[in-house]
Amino acid sequence: MIIVGCGRVGSTLAIELENQGHQVVVVDRNPAAFRRLGEDFTGRTLVGVGFDRDILTDAGITAESAVMAVTSGDNSNIMIARVARELFGVERVVARIYDPRRAAIYERLGIATVATVAWTSNRILRTILPHDGATDWTDPTSTYQLVERRITGALAGKSVSSTPAHVALINRHGKADIPKSDTLFQEADVVHLLATSEQISSFDAHLAGHEGAHS
Amino acid sequence: MFRKRSKSNPPEVVAYDATPVAEVQSRVHTTVMGQITSIKTQPSRGLPNLVMKVTDESGSATVTWSGRRSIGGITLGRKILITGVAMRTGGIVAFVNPEYQLLA
Amino acid sequence: MKIIIAGAGSVGRYMAEQLSKFGHDIQLIDTNAKELARVHAEGGTVTGLVGDACEISTLAKAGAADADVIAAVTGDDEDNLVVSLLAKQEFAVPRVVARVNNPNNEWMFNDMWGVDVSVSTPHLLTALVEEAVAVGSLVKLLSLEHGKAGLNEVTLAPGSPAVGNTIANLKLSRESVVVALIRDGHVVAPTPDTVLHENDEVLLLSTGDADEDLQRALIGPR
Repeated sequence: MIIVGCGRVGSTLAIELENQGHQVVVVDRNPAAFRRLGEDFTGRTLVGVGFDRDILTDAGITAESAVMAVTSGDNSNIMIARVARELFGVERVVARIYDPRRAAIYERLGIATVATVAWTSNRILRTILPHDGATDWTDPTSTYQLVERRITGALAGKSVSSTPAHVALINRHGKADIPKSDTLFQEADVVHLLATSEQISSFDAHLAGHEGAHS
Repeated sequence: MFRKRSKSNPPEVVAYDATPVAEVQSRVHTTVMGQITSIKTQPSRGLPNLVMKVTDESGSATVTWSGRRSIGGITLGRKILITGVAMRTGGIVAFVNPEYQLLA
Repeated sequence: MKIIIAGAGSVGRYMAEQLSKFGHDIQLIDTNAKELARVHAEGGTVTGLVGDACEISTLAKAGAADADVIAAVTGDDEDNLVVSLLAKQEFAVPRVVARVNNPNNEWMFNDMWGVDVSVSTPHLLTALVEEAVAVGSLVKLLSLEHGKAGLNEVTLAPGSPAVGNTIANLKLSRESVVVALIRDGHVVAPTPDTVLHENDEVLLLSTGDADEDLQRALIGPR
């Protein structure tokens, strides 16, 4: 787990991930920022620029890593994300983007972006870690849940009607739309599903696909 | 007077507001609709680039995706909608990182 | 021509002023109005636009949709790369030139981010210093055509295998052409029969990787 940017979000992520038992490396240009990690933090810290190839290599980056670009600069975050993905082959990459208009552009590069909203850390964790049963809403009879999922290559090209889970909304290229029956899933779509927990599990299994589930 | 619907504007194309590739103007925000007729990874300096050709009745456009090795659903023969600002140099119409929509 | 310059620091302002002398229409973008105010247009037009060049709306306002060239020359490599990408992706600007501030980032200044031509001042300065001081080694002065061609320089040392030889006898591979000799302060136009002397500064245009060949012909075994 490599986190670039040790601000409020970065430090929160680092501490949370460490508590969950992951190996965490935090990178920041300013060593003073590491104070936010507290004394109990046992992960590694590195002083440097997150899109520098040597720093990332130093941080132990491999294609299996997860990289979270959460500095205070949108441009830096995108650069970090692209270097991680394109040079090092990292698949789990998230960039925090303040400017929603820019986020739409970067989504087209296929990089998962998270806007700065309440619960930014939670949203980032949900993108990086396997689905932890978090739901946005559950109906009063506890039958249906509203959950968010990001579409992977495994489901890309398939019709939204091919899954029993009801796809209530698709967020694509910065726009949100209610899908039609012939709408096809695309990689990087963020979908909101209204479904039973079985339907969600089945959906998640399809998402994991033949490429193997992310651990 | 009976008005014939021109061959270059079949109903689908009109519904999606797509322009035939041959009529795409340089640097104007456009949508083209066609079939993916070729896909290749074109590495540049060790970094991947996915380059595909979208072909409609009037011609082909090139679409380059920076930094991608593959995109789910982008497969040969797939019908696709491409929206973006193209550069036309000579006979070649080229899009870079456009919006896309996979069609059934 | 319509040229947009992102970054009104000393480099951007200098470029705006020089290019306006040729009568071009220059749009200069910077978030800092005071920097913009320091520009003096001579000849053509220089219009200052206060805004963030990394935003599509600002680039649109500056006329990116029909600009011939965008030069991203701020002091921040991140900004220069993002401006370049937006210029290529959103506006299909035919020629995107970007400034490299930190040579460590130079590897990204290419089609990965929509950059057609990158200029690294530290790199150029180093090359020019090397050119001035290095005798008997290969100096790469300039990279052209997205790195596919280069302008190289070798000042012939006393022990160079090329000294006393004609250019034809160098048997350079087809990838290199001697374009000029500088001898005693004069430029000599090379012919196949030109005999090379010690201290001649040989300028060559090479495509592909000509290093080994130039080493063999002009410098000698390592």
